[in-house]
Amino acid sequence: MNTDDLIAGLARDPAPATGTGPEKRLLPVLLAGLAVTLALFFLVLGPRPDLMAALSDPLIAAKTLMPLLLGVLALILSLRAARPAAPFGLPGTLIWAVPAAAAALFVLAFMTTVPPARLPAFIGHSIPICLPAIPLLSLPMLAGLITALRRGAPVHPARCGALAGLAAAGLATAIYSTFCIEDSPLFYAVWYTAGIGIASALGAILGARWLNW
Amino acid sequence: MTERNAQWGDLLRRANRGEAAAYARFLTEVVPVIRNIARARSPHGADEVEDIVQEVLLALHAKRHTWRESDPVTPWLYAIVRYKTADAARKRRAGGGRQVPIDDLADVLPDDTAGEVTAAGDLTRLLGEIDDRSAGIVRAVGVEGQSAGEVGARLGMSEGAVRVAYHRALQRLRDKAGAVGTGQAKQPRPAKVDERLE
Repeated sequence: MNTDDLIAGLARDPAPATGTGPEKRLLPVLLAGLAVTLALFFLVLGPRPDLMAALSDPLIAAKTLMPLLLGVLALILSLRAARPAAPFGLPGTLIWAVPAAAAALFVLAFMTTVPPARLPAFIGHSIPICLPAIPLLSLPMLAGLITALRRGAPVHPARCGALAGLAAAGLATAIYSTFCIEDSPLFYAVWYTAGIGIASALGAILGARWLNW
Repeated sequence: MTERNAQWGDLLRRANRGEAAAYARFLTEVVPVIRNIARARSPHGADEVEDIVQEVLLALHAKRHTWRESDPVTPWLYAIVRYKTADAARKRRAGGGRQVPIDDLADVLPDDTAGEVTAAGDLTRLLGEIDDRSAGIVRAVGVEGQSAGEVGARLGMSEGAVRVAYHRALQRLRDKAGAVGTGQAKQPRPAKVDERLE
């Protein structure tokens, strides 16, 4: 087939339906993923009994709010990454505030914790739950995001997938943090970050595989 | 450059609202640019360049909804062209030189010379490996010589969709033939698939 014929054929196709982009698909699949994540969470983990009291402490609220902010920003970025040449813009800068704040909280907690208490606070007691739980709770939302992003055209599929992983992990970590009673940044700034990192790496792998086009 | 951006942006905006003429003009005007980039990336001659150009056109077509009217169109366009040319070049390398070992479809009709019978068998086998709908389109358009319009009317697809499906199916057949061909002692004569739309 020569190229001119192909062009003639393509031009005869109807215009793309409005609302076929990833944005339109995003909300339903994300909510479906979120529903599965929440169901898993309430079945297996459940919120801590003193949740309301705990959240009034800013240092504890931070472990829920920071990943939430991370998740929302990464969600926006993953959508931008799904459009060729779309700039990351302001959210691309703002998102760095989250790891910066986590690092600052870690340093602050390190200085305000008496030396003998540092290691126990860092090790905590729930690494074997925390580390797998965050990626696992991310998975339903990550799967939903990847299906939505397939409607886009990411020119760096792995990067787009990693951002989707980051978005899912941010939201999943915010949910997980309401179960977790490890309230020292010496614990959560490290181990939440590790869990989120695992989920993002998973997103990158899935992206490289499924966001190719 | 900005003038070109404004002009192409205007054409694609109208195209995405259903103006076929604007779309045809947009595609026609971007083809030389795509061809230049594809040529820089492929040392194997004009046929391969044209294959890549067509793959990029199909990609632009499939993803034209990902351009936002508020964004400049040229960065969007170049990002897709770069992505697809790199992708195509990578696939060709992976396919071992990518000389296409599918004989001219006209030659593999069963009533042709005896030497082609194996090739006809190969084609039948390859068609069995892709989905029935695509195989049907290749048979109808490539072997029986029906027009894309006729096939489309029968399958309830637009003519353009039939062309796209036909093109994609050929691409997959080439990939499969390439994968098999490298493992065979006696390679079928490398030849281009005759693309006989209209």
